[in-house]
Amino acid sequence: MPEPSSLPPRPSSLTLRVAVVDDEPLARAVLCEFLAAEPNVEVVAQCANGFEAVKAVSELTPDLLLLDVQMPKLNGFEVLDLVGRDVAVVFTTAYDQYALKAFEVHAVDYLLKPIAADRLSEALARVRERLGRGERSASPGAIAAAKPQEGPVHRVLVRDGPRVHVIAVDKIDYVQAQDDYVCFRSEGKDYLKEQTLGDVEASLDPKVFVRIHRSYLLNLSRLVRVDQDERENRVAVLTDGRRLPVSRSGYTRLNSLL
Amino acid sequence: MHPILARLERLGSYLALWCAVGVFESAALTRQGLTWPEALVQVLPPLLVYSFICLSAWYVCRATPLATSGVPRVLTAALVAAWIGAALWLALSEAWLATLESMPELAPITDRFRAQIPFLFAVSVMLYLLVLSVHYVVLSFEAFRTAERQQLELQVLTRDAELRALRAQVDPHFLYNCLNSISALTGSDAAAARRMCLLLAEFLRTTLRVSTQQSITMAEELSLAERYLSIEQVRFGARLQVERSIDDSALECQVPPLVLQPLLENAVGHGIAGMIDGGTIRLDVVRRGDRVSITVENPRDPDAMPRKRGGVGLENVRKRLAVVFAGAARLEAAAGPDGFRVAVDLPFTIHA
Repeated sequence: MPEPSSLPPRPSSLTLRVAVVDDEPLARAVLCEFLAAEPNVEVVAQCANGFEAVKAVSELTPDLLLLDVQMPKLNGFEVLDLVGRDVAVVFTTAYDQYALKAFEVHAVDYLLKPIAADRLSEALARVRERLGRGERSASPGAIAAAKPQEGPVHRVLVRDGPRVHVIAVDKIDYVQAQDDYVCFRSEGKDYLKEQTLGDVEASLDPKVFVRIHRSYLLNLSRLVRVDQDERENRVAVLTDGRRLPVSRSGYTRLNSLL
Repeated sequence: MHPILARLERLGSYLALWCAVGVFESAALTRQGLTWPEALVQVLPPLLVYSFICLSAWYVCRATPLATSGVPRVLTAALVAAWIGAALWLALSEAWLATLESMPELAPITDRFRAQIPFLFAVSVMLYLLVLSVHYVVLSFEAFRTAERQQLELQVLTRDAELRALRAQVDPHFLYNCLNSISALTGSDAAAARRMCLLLAEFLRTTLRVSTQQSITMAEELSLAERYLSIEQVRFGARLQVERSIDDSALECQVPPLVLQPLLENAVGHGIAGMIDGGTIRLDVVRRGDRVSITVENPRDPDAMPRKRGGVGLENVRKRLAVVFAGAARLEAAAGPDGFRVAVDLPFTIHA
């Protein structure tokens, strides 16, 4: 077969569906203006914050998010953490200090404000190239690992389709591993997130959350006492009466903290 | 280090001058019947030794600087040194001539020398004093040059400090975001883009100008703040609202420049920018007798991470108030669950 026909269809001939996310209307406007001049690009959504961005990704399945980093409530990195596997991300920001981190979380490109039209074109070409290869952004683990070491997180974000739950860390009773997911128990509700329990443990304050068992991470303030059941297994009794298993090494860790 | 001994070419010129003096003196001797070689060999060696003795004047100059020593002290030191130097030289010459006496073919001038000791002594003292004054000239010239260089260095440092202060005052990211807004407006509303350019230019110019001043009036500080807020309102649109209550009787009060600016920048950056629907910043300036208070209040996202004592901008203001007012001014910051409030209280002063 002759060489050219063996190639996949040129990605640039496909329409690239873009969602523009920035809390400043003028910053969105200049991106839309530049995108309008690009061939085969369609702006499917303009979002003023991270929640809208997650909703847009769920409902409109764009190919690309042009994502501001500094936004109210959810910053760009948190949005990437939530939707990064469903959409390619190009960051737009006035701050150059996030560039390294952006590439660690497999953002396709990083555009500095003021935005230059030809840099945007370059970024779009990269996106097409990457989509043509069928690549997506990093796994949640890689994103979590690339988080700056600024101490433990204060809240946990869980995506539920188009919605985002923001759970304050002190409202979490415990975290349970469930296959490829973890389940955060907070105020009587369960929130599922695709992440490993080890990553969650690493992101939380080790003085507050203790790995009492291979599958359980417990908020110490919820612990009432440790009992032994009829088969001599240790069990943690929580303030709401719930009982969680405690492994031998988990018991050692508990004792060292109490 | 001795300024003449330190540099070979200076020492060369110095010795050349002394040789000229020696030649002059030898010429006088030749008129009294000596041949040139006889005269030179008797005059030059002691004279060259004396030229080095005279270099000791440098240490006399250093020990009694003109700027800090009284006239009597300088004169006493100079005369004592000259007297010792001249006496030393006479003794050396005497010894040299005594050595030469063993060589009769040199037609010794020992007797004539002895007869002229008072005159020669006076000349030596004068020569020493001359060298001493030359040293004083050199010293003051060097002091002048050092002062000039220090002045220049100081100017560079001051400029540098100003620029650093400016950089601290004007967040570069604020500029980048502004430029991005202008870039956006160019496509849709050229007149608004131009207005924004002018606002930004005015803001930067004023910031640069007042940052070099010790104090400015509250009215000036407020007008700078208004420019800043106008620019941010272009960026944030309806999300940024401002309510002001300004006491006219406080407008003349002298304040350190850019004392209000960082408070507003915090209110926008850490308050309004973190809220999806934005909010209202309250700015109050009140005069109560001989005190003036500036209060900035802003709402903030209750879920946002707690701020660490208000950050660098606030800390800078606090430090500057401490330096300028030495305890007579206060800055109080209070973080509530959904708002932040900073109050600056300072004495009412007007420019004399």
